[in-house]
Amino acid sequence: MKYMLLMTGTKADFQAYAQWPKQDLQANIAFMRAFSKELKDAGVFVATEGLAFPDQAKMVRAGQDAEPITDGVFPESKEFLAGYWIIDVEGPEEAYKIAARLSAAPGSGTMRGSMPIEVRQVMSGAPEESRR
Amino acid sequence: MKYILMMAGTKAGVDTYKAWSSQDIGAHFAFLHRLNQELTESGEFVSTQPLARPEEAKIVRAGNDGAPITDGVFPEAKEFLLGYWIVDVESPERAYQIAARLSAGPGPGGVPTNMPIEVRQIMTGRGEELVADGPGARLEGRSK
Repeated sequence: MKYMLLMTGTKADFQAYAQWPKQDLQANIAFMRAFSKELKDAGVFVATEGLAFPDQAKMVRAGQDAEPITDGVFPESKEFLAGYWIIDVEGPEEAYKIAARLSAAPGSGTMRGSMPIEVRQVMSGAPEESRR
Repeated sequence: MKYILMMAGTKAGVDTYKAWSSQDIGAHFAFLHRLNQELTESGEFVSTQPLARPEEAKIVRAGNDGAPITDGVFPEAKEFLLGYWIVDVESPERAYQIAARLSAGPGPGGVPTNMPIEVRQIMTGRGEELVADGPGARLEGRSK
């Protein structure tokens, strides 16, 4: 079963991240690298991506002429995806265990320890009817 | 440049989708299938994944002993990721065009859903040292 582990944050969270002392940032990055490697070694790694900061995020809708209408204004409380991992594991319990490892990534200042990680099953390969 | 196009919705929004007729759902899937094919032919398709229903979503934190603490209660306004597309395109404008196509996908009675699509650039793999390191790469990219 494939699961997606999502890391999210508000714009304020991202701004706080950007201010972390270099040492804390490096410790966090080293953890993320080791984490991905560990998942690869365990044979459960499928994919990971890190996204650009939310200041470049756009909401896009189709206008009357199907041309894109873009909007870059978001409510302050909006949770932006920072990055994700997709893992292929035996069941949800294993996914939660791996998410808990990620949750314990080293932080900085007030952003230390037990970051919330959203865990969602990925439906690719499931019958069309049960998708979404 | 890689961009992720994300479709999100609240639980209430997903319930509305469940009430669509099978004909409308079929038309919507046919549309998505055609779009995926077009993006594959143009060489812009990277990946797409649909996610399971928000009812099954969990927030996980590490407890003091490192064991997972799971929580399945969310505020009503919480926007859940329903699915995403990753495309590799020449410019952000092209990513917005593809997002507008998705937004114009047929809803009930064939009327475009006009769903908002969030468009974000993907940072992974943008520099030689950043290959496949996921969110860490984003932070490192920023710290340079």
